[in-house]
Amino acid sequence: MRAGRFARRIALLAWALPAAGALSAQELPFPPREDARFHWESLDHFAAAHDLKGQRLSIFGPWRGEDARLFQNVLAYFRAATGATVDYASAENYEQQIVIDTQAGSPPDIAILPQPGLIADLAARGMLAPLGDETRAWISGNYAAGNSWADLGTFKGPDGPPALYGFPYKIELKSLVWYVPETFADAGYTVPRTLEDLRTLTERIAADGGTPWCIGLGSGGATGWPATDWVEDLLLRSAPVETYDRWVTNRIPFTDPAVLAAVDAFGWFARTDRFVDGGRAAVATTDFRDSPAGLFAVPPRCYLHRQASFIASYFPKGAKLGRDVDFFYFPAPADGSLGQPVLGSGTLAVITRDSAPARAFIEFLKTPIAHEVWMAQTSFLTPHLGVNPDVYATAAARRQGDILLNATTFRFDGSDLMPGAIGTGAFWSGMVDYAGGAPAAEVALRIQKAWDDIQ
Amino acid sequence: MAGITGRRSRPILHLLLAAMVLLWTLPTLGLFVTSFRAGDAVRVSGWWTALAPATQSGMVRIAGDDTASGAVRSGSVLRPDQSGARITAFGVSSRDPDAFAAGQTAELPLGGQLTLHADGRYRLVTPDPAASGQRVFFAATMPPAFTFQNYFHVLSSEGLVGSLVNSALVAVPSTLLPLTLATFAAYALAWMRFPGRALLAVATVALMAVPLQMALIPVLRFYNFAGQALGLDTKSFLGIWLAHTGFGLPLAIHLLRAGMSAVPREIIEAARLDGASELRILIGIVLPLSLPVLAAFAVFQFLWTWNDIMVALVFLAPQEVLTARLVNLMGSRGGEWEVLAASTFVSLAVPLVVFFLFQRHVVRGAVAGIST
Amino acid sequence: MLHPAAIAIATLILCLAAALAWIWGANWLLDRILPPRGTAISRNIRRAALIRPWLFLGPALLFLSAFLIYPALGTIWLSFHGPDGKAFTGLANHAWLWRDGAVRQAALNTGLWLLVVPAAATALGLVGAALTDTLRWGGLARILIFLPVAVSGAAAAVIWKFVLDFRPLGAPQTGLLNALVTWAGGTPQPWIAQPIVNTLFLMAIVVWTQTGFAMVILSAALRAVPGDTVEAARLDGATDLQVFLWIRVPQIRGPITAVWLAMTLVVLKVFDIVLALTNGQWNSNVLANLMFSWMFRGGGDFGRGAVLALALMALVLPILVATLQGGARTRKD
Repeated sequence: MRAGRFARRIALLAWALPAAGALSAQELPFPPREDARFHWESLDHFAAAHDLKGQRLSIFGPWRGEDARLFQNVLAYFRAATGATVDYASAENYEQQIVIDTQAGSPPDIAILPQPGLIADLAARGMLAPLGDETRAWISGNYAAGNSWADLGTFKGPDGPPALYGFPYKIELKSLVWYVPETFADAGYTVPRTLEDLRTLTERIAADGGTPWCIGLGSGGATGWPATDWVEDLLLRSAPVETYDRWVTNRIPFTDPAVLAAVDAFGWFARTDRFVDGGRAAVATTDFRDSPAGLFAVPPRCYLHRQASFIASYFPKGAKLGRDVDFFYFPAPADGSLGQPVLGSGTLAVITRDSAPARAFIEFLKTPIAHEVWMAQTSFLTPHLGVNPDVYATAAARRQGDILLNATTFRFDGSDLMPGAIGTGAFWSGMVDYAGGAPAAEVALRIQKAWDDIQ
Repeated sequence: MAGITGRRSRPILHLLLAAMVLLWTLPTLGLFVTSFRAGDAVRVSGWWTALAPATQSGMVRIAGDDTASGAVRSGSVLRPDQSGARITAFGVSSRDPDAFAAGQTAELPLGGQLTLHADGRYRLVTPDPAASGQRVFFAATMPPAFTFQNYFHVLSSEGLVGSLVNSALVAVPSTLLPLTLATFAAYALAWMRFPGRALLAVATVALMAVPLQMALIPVLRFYNFAGQALGLDTKSFLGIWLAHTGFGLPLAIHLLRAGMSAVPREIIEAARLDGASELRILIGIVLPLSLPVLAAFAVFQFLWTWNDIMVALVFLAPQEVLTARLVNLMGSRGGEWEVLAASTFVSLAVPLVVFFLFQRHVVRGAVAGIST
Repeated sequence: MLHPAAIAIATLILCLAAALAWIWGANWLLDRILPPRGTAISRNIRRAALIRPWLFLGPALLFLSAFLIYPALGTIWLSFHGPDGKAFTGLANHAWLWRDGAVRQAALNTGLWLLVVPAAATALGLVGAALTDTLRWGGLARILIFLPVAVSGAAAAVIWKFVLDFRPLGAPQTGLLNALVTWAGGTPQPWIAQPIVNTLFLMAIVVWTQTGFAMVILSAALRAVPGDTVEAARLDGATDLQVFLWIRVPQIRGPITAVWLAMTLVVLKVFDIVLALTNGQWNSNVLANLMFSWMFRGGGDFGRGAVLALALMALVLPILVATLQGGARTRKD
């Protein structure tokens, strides 16, 4: 462990020397200034303005495994530019870990969290440092639909008016349905363009003797969350976006007819025995990571799987996107009155301990390079207008970027926006109960009670 | 040493114990077998089928990567490590993956023929292969196959060895420190007369009712305060040792006091009459006679601290100990149960070895010590 | 640069040396100040005897105060305060405790756990101890039954997935239990998702991990029982089972109490296995897990976490006291 840190320091020293280009190629996945698609000058400007030699930056984030490796590659450029030592850590139950660490007074410098609801709680308790009006203006001006992103990162502080606390970085697209093109072709199915087509296709697959969907809600301590995405996507496709906005802030109750209809729309898919692999009993117990395996089984155990862009990490080894598996936009109703809504989520960087390296890291996130390095690796989407879309590693990522751009409405994952006790508690367990057979009205009433309870 | 019953009912006892052993080992055996299986087999069949030949279905692509047209291609759909497998049926459409028997020739929907033999050899004649290649589905009888790959993978790339060292650095001191402090305290409670002794003994044990979850934050806050004053890291090995010591003391004191009380009173009275100091009595007489209890507590505390995740998550940086790494693997590698199984077995190795070393000590000590 | 392991070992030696130095130094000093000789010998001995116990107890009491008593008092204080532990809310959290349905469910389950798990683990441990001490292959059996003690909650969750896994009817079962059920002609069940059934399985897993420990301790205790009483009973014509139940078991009541207590403690701490397998869903929640959720989920609510901790303490204390009284009676016998 210490040996690793030592090796990193050596590598860093080598970087600090101007003529260390040869060594740097090993440390940095894309050697600076070689690939003209990248905005290298942004890194140079950043490096010139920030010298943090001998300082430390600790970052706590949700990414583990492969994603952590990709993020480390991004951090390598920050290290190289500033000379700072950067420690990145994560944990399986990171949303609990960050509460423990901030409450105990031993937080990291930067925390990167996917739940605005949780960030709101931390901000209200004075655990976060505001990022300042300049950064707010920067987001408004440099992100696509910048104001909505700036609003997303804005929360009420411990006292006084709301301020920008979170810097959005890395977006996930949720409105995706995954399928195997050749299996579709074998069976004569085509990609549905409207929500009505999707329902017809579901019925047709079942009538042909197949099973249309693989749905798995299991996720250890977070069991139930995949169902909340379903409900949110379906609500955006059955009610005006204002309903959605009122719902996530509880200005309409959870028991509103529009919400109940969306829950039951999910039930139509998930609680009809012949529509889901394993029948309704299997939905709540199947792990979301095991769930897509049904697409690849021989013969296929299912034909469709609705899940966010990150699920590609859990496909069988060697499955090639675009050939062995592909995705389409979770379609909107045919009449077009609701447009093309897109559900997404993302991570926000917050300063949990104010320091020069922490401020420098937020500045670093404004450089196109911080986005392009991850884009060029895979599984990264960004609303940053200054990046070069050609850098996207795969055609699939570029197509996901297009879905993001074609969206008439983009909404952040509702369960992440709700207060933690609802969005990462009552809503999750309520959907598990619903999948188990409880009526929508009863489940909604229970969630609403929990919400009343914390207000 | 006499047992429960005489010779007549022995067969029943054998049966009873065999049933118990079976129940207690079967789940772990499943994990053990799984840790030597290949991932694709783990997902489609139970571990108990691993010993018999299994029917497995698979899919390969032929000629996806070359653009020559009108070519005849041949090769095998089986990997070299699957050489013992026999193809029983195959197909060219996911709708009908076992339409043809091995050795037959299938007409491809886009033109051309495919012949697949039982040993995996194929011959593909197609004028115009699809760009993505021809998918071939097959069902094959696989001979039992075991691999060390999972263990290589775990030990080489998952950083488990570093965590193993860290777990030891947490568990050993967290066992020795409370043992030392509890020895003094338990002796005082067992053999010294002073007002409030009984009350103190009960109060100590009552502290076991304090839920640890509640104790973590105040203690960490205190560390943070002390760390800043002294310029130390808040999260350190010393911090977690002291925490484990505090949390382990009630049980340690209770067990050791019970064990020390069993020492015959006459021995101690005699030593006191000889003018031996309390410390001398503790070290010279009571301690050697209570070794079994010391060993018992040491084993218990070691296993507890080795397997603990909650205290480690709060007092050390994430992922540093084995249990935390295992839970992380479950999250980031969900679905890869064979890798998880191998990691779990690595994490089991140390406590098992420790137990075997200590078990003899516990039992020998118990027989020799208490019956004196 | 020093390896962290070397630093750790040096620190450990330092800590142990400090503990020993304290006990020697303090005793030496006491004997210096109140020497057990000279004119005031009897007064000195009496005074020293009053002070000495506290020298022995001192370090332990210091640790107990810092790591358990102070947090326990803090818990009581927090239970009267809001989510952030600042605003005073009076009895609001306590009132919530009584009306919340999820709390009632978890309390019921925890009560069940405290009743069933220590009893089952101790009883099975006793049976295991008796059997392994009797039979020739008992040594091997003891090792095998003890094996799960070494399993952490995280590992147990992985192990039992291969027992409890559920695949729909028709698909090949990967869980042992459902494979047996289908083999016998039944319908596979999602065990984890069925109320009561899941609690029974969670308890079974904990019993599975703890029985080996109970067995080893009780086995050592059984071996230490003097042979003469057994022989006497045997001469009186008692059967072996009677000898075991009425002569040998009563003589190890102390160790049984200790094991029972340890099991209660384990149940109190158990939450990782619940967190990993059900996270309290499907009516399987226990107070420890519910408390963890309230404290650290979604920003955390320390007031409610604290009040749940108090509820847990209230459930455990009577059991502790009862067990202790039982233990005290044994010692008097």
